[in-house]
Amino acid sequence: MPSNWGYVFAAYGIAAVALLTYWRHLARRTRALAARRAAKPRAA
Amino acid sequence: MTRALGWLAVLGLVVGLGAGFGYAPREAVQGNVQRIMYLHVPAVLTAYLAFGLVLAGSIGYLATRRPSWDRLAAAAGELGVLFTGLTIVSGSIWGKPTWGTWWTWDARLTSTAVLFMVYVGYLLLRSLIEDPDARARYAAVVGILGAVNIPIVHFSVKWWRALHQPSTILGPERSPIDPAIGLALFVNWVAFTLLFAYFLARRMEIARLEEQT
Amino acid sequence: MSACAKEPGRSAVVAYTKRAWIVLWKDFLIERRAKEHANALLFFCLLLLFLFQFALGPDRERLATAVPGLLWLGFILAGLLGLGRSFLGERDNDCWEGLRLTPGDKSAIYLGKLAGNCVLMTAVEIILVVLFGVFYNIDLWTPAAPLALVLALGTIGLAAVGTLFAAMTTQVRARELLFPVLLLPVQVPVLLATVSATQALLLGQPLADVAHWLKLLAGADLVYVTIGILTFEFVLEG
Repeated sequence: MPSNWGYVFAAYGIAAVALLTYWRHLARRTRALAARRAAKPRAA
Repeated sequence: MTRALGWLAVLGLVVGLGAGFGYAPREAVQGNVQRIMYLHVPAVLTAYLAFGLVLAGSIGYLATRRPSWDRLAAAAGELGVLFTGLTIVSGSIWGKPTWGTWWTWDARLTSTAVLFMVYVGYLLLRSLIEDPDARARYAAVVGILGAVNIPIVHFSVKWWRALHQPSTILGPERSPIDPAIGLALFVNWVAFTLLFAYFLARRMEIARLEEQT
Repeated sequence: MSACAKEPGRSAVVAYTKRAWIVLWKDFLIERRAKEHANALLFFCLLLLFLFQFALGPDRERLATAVPGLLWLGFILAGLLGLGRSFLGERDNDCWEGLRLTPGDKSAIYLGKLAGNCVLMTAVEIILVVLFGVFYNIDLWTPAAPLALVLALGTIGLAAVGTLFAAMTTQVRARELLFPVLLLPVQVPVLLATVSATQALLLGQPLADVAHWLKLLAGADLVYVTIGILTFEFVLEG
């Protein structure tokens, strides 16, 4: 039975990329929201 | 509070990785490829948790009209699609060396794919409606229908498979679970749930702030 | 209404049924006068026949094995066109408010529309079945009775969700795209069940062999119609 580590790393790699990308997406949205709220004249 | 949850999730994932690669033994029949299970199974369990929350949020909104329920449904729906996608991709990668093909129409993979399509539709619907109340109401109806349909899909696909494949393929769930594998699986599942909770909290917060702005 | 004082429960049911019936009758009258839906769908069925023949080639065997799937593919395609338009009449003619302001239980409207859609889909199915029998030389007469049962159950499943989603998507952007995208994944179990059952019946198997599929369909239909009844008023608001 070949060790097939390539597949294992591919799966985990894709998962890591997906989850990290989503996390950064959340972070970016939070930053954008914070900027919009700070820019608005009335208090948040 | 959310940050603490985030760090806890990271810790859980690290421990999970250790359990999956260090502690758990090399599986006898499938070899190291089987380790993908520590990613695949927690992902699908987390997806089901997410869609359960979509159902809860949908019913909650229709019953109380409180926006917090809709925020829960929206956030959980997004995460559900994410984790279902991970389930399918990891399942496919697992399948290639194990069964020789990237895709098989076996019961679980097919059901998961249908689940994926239902909730992508859910997100699509949400993205096309601007009025928050209409969006929440329509999404709730689709959310309820989608969730209630899950067992119906499960049985129909299972019986359909029974017609087409007298399966002699050793499915991953057939082998008796070695307790070490079981423990690694459990640890990873906890880690994924923590990660899910963290993402959910942040996503709901974003939704709440967006409504106020 | 003198009946109210004597049997309030019964007159409520009568009023409810009447409302549903009025919706059904109204749609039937509109259709009979304008004949737009029926003619176009009929022609669409004919086109599908040719489409399937051209797609699968001249091999009789291959077509024959594919018939159960093609039959239901045809229904679904026709359904996507026909069902998606369920509420277009109300939207285009500014009657949406009228629907919303109807007194009493809105779910009566849902049932009325559902009944109308079932009638429409049944007409399409009968036409397709006849066309298939004639053009593809398939014996659909012998298993006609059990086949009719499968058709009926499948139709209700398709129409129940289709009517609900049609109401929902009528007011949404990209309606023509969103309706199929929402409907098709939910219809997967109905498709699997009906195609499997149809296949078994066309191979001459008795009805008892497909009992589990029928039970699944019946159960699914019950669930879909119930959810339609319970949630229709939320779709109609706003």
